[in-house]
Amino acid sequence: MSHVHIDVENLSFSYESGTPVLREMNLHVSENESVGIIGANGAGKSTFLKLLVGLNLNFTGKVRIEEIPLEKKTLPKIREKIGYVFQDSDSQLFMTTVGEDVAFAPRNYGLPEEEVEKRVQEALEKVHIAHLRDKSIFKLSGGEKKLASLATILSMTPDMIFLDEPSVALDPRNRRNLIRVLNEFGHLKLIASHDLDFIWDTCSRVILISGGQLIADGTADEILRDQALLEENGLELPLSLTERK
Amino acid sequence: MNKIGQAISEIQSLETLSKEDRWVNRLHPLSKLFLTVFYIAVTVSFPKYDLSGLLVMALYPAAVFLVSELSFKDALRRLRVVLPLVAAVGILNPFFDREVVLTIGSVQVWGGVLSMLTLMIKAVLTVLSGYLLIATTPIEKICYALRIIHIPKVFVVVVLLIYRYVTVLLQEARRITQAYALRAPGQKGVHYKVWGSLLGQMLLRSMDRANDLYDSMLLRGFDGEFHTGAKEKLKPSDFLWPVLWGAIIILLRLFPVAELLGGLFL
Repeated sequence: MSHVHIDVENLSFSYESGTPVLREMNLHVSENESVGIIGANGAGKSTFLKLLVGLNLNFTGKVRIEEIPLEKKTLPKIREKIGYVFQDSDSQLFMTTVGEDVAFAPRNYGLPEEEVEKRVQEALEKVHIAHLRDKSIFKLSGGEKKLASLATILSMTPDMIFLDEPSVALDPRNRRNLIRVLNEFGHLKLIASHDLDFIWDTCSRVILISGGQLIADGTADEILRDQALLEENGLELPLSLTERK
Repeated sequence: MNKIGQAISEIQSLETLSKEDRWVNRLHPLSKLFLTVFYIAVTVSFPKYDLSGLLVMALYPAAVFLVSELSFKDALRRLRVVLPLVAAVGILNPFFDREVVLTIGSVQVWGGVLSMLTLMIKAVLTVLSGYLLIATTPIEKICYALRIIHIPKVFVVVVLLIYRYVTVLLQEARRITQAYALRAPGQKGVHYKVWGSLLGQMLLRSMDRANDLYDSMLLRGFDGEFHTGAKEKLKPSDFLWPVLWGAIIILLRLFPVAELLGGLFL
């Protein structure tokens, strides 16, 4: 029996104004699973991911990451296990060069400088941007920024990675590169996106969120081929599954 | 490139300079920090009428410009906004201090004029020495040096984050002004009627982004201490440089070197 890594029970969240964003969410994700979180704009995908890493703890319900309950005192322990890639790479990168940014997490975890160096090199090589190591963050293209963001969390060697709209701003080549990197990452992945083709290429399981509620949970094949379900929730069949006219 | 773009580019080029592999850049940040603070303290300690004594203090920045191969012209260009402001310090002195303290030929010089010049030179020299520190030492290393001397980490992190935040703010300002310019063709600058909303937008957006950046730091193990990997061992040259210059600066302060040199030639 596979080990449950993420356990969400009756998770609800509202903004201070009282507007509900997520309602009674239940989810169990096992190790090595690759789960796509789909939904139209404003469905609550990003909020859901942010709650799982404890960026907001004002939720009701229970969240356990690798059996550790998500609460203020357990945040450092939980965050060490999770790599989170932001939707907007400009919000993720802040050091002067790519190499410095990728080294940020390993240094925070107190690793010796030789180990930091090794991890930085490995992470950059994994996403094929080793040549950008000394380049200024401000001089990167959109695609390079996205790959650099991914490298910044791979250097943490996390147990699981969460990605928020990872395919935004990527050209076809960088997109393929990112898909390859994600598929090579053998651990748990949660990928929030409305780019269903990207989800089709990277996830075996898909959950559909609409209006803050979990509407469907199944294999990628079941969910992404269900045209009626997708259209009912403001989505469309992935282009790769649409018959060309 | 608009002015905001130029400002971002200036910050980037300063960071590039600070990371160059030159002898002065390789010196331990602590020795450079100490020396700069000491130089500034000694420079501001000169009496208000001691113009000749103060002028020889330019020896230190001149020497650093030489060994660091930094361009003095570039420094003046980068400091063009700050220098007039610091030079304006003491501009009112001539109106309040009209006592004649010096006579050159038939020209009588008021104490206010002399003290104004002294203040201006002090300001320029201290700003230049600060510039030289930043241009030869990355901000992370300066902060590392501050932590070595037990400056509270809250203070050091705030310094570092403000430095980063300036770029974030400038980037947001560039985005907003570009968006404005594209929808206001032929207009010079930003119309005063939209200054309020534009500034508000810029502030809100940059706050949002700063918040996201902070979240990103927290998610990567940030615990209030900035680990820069800058740990360096002190080399003999790291002691020699500040000791040598410390001695020269003390000599320049204690003895009227300019007058002694002048006496040799007169």
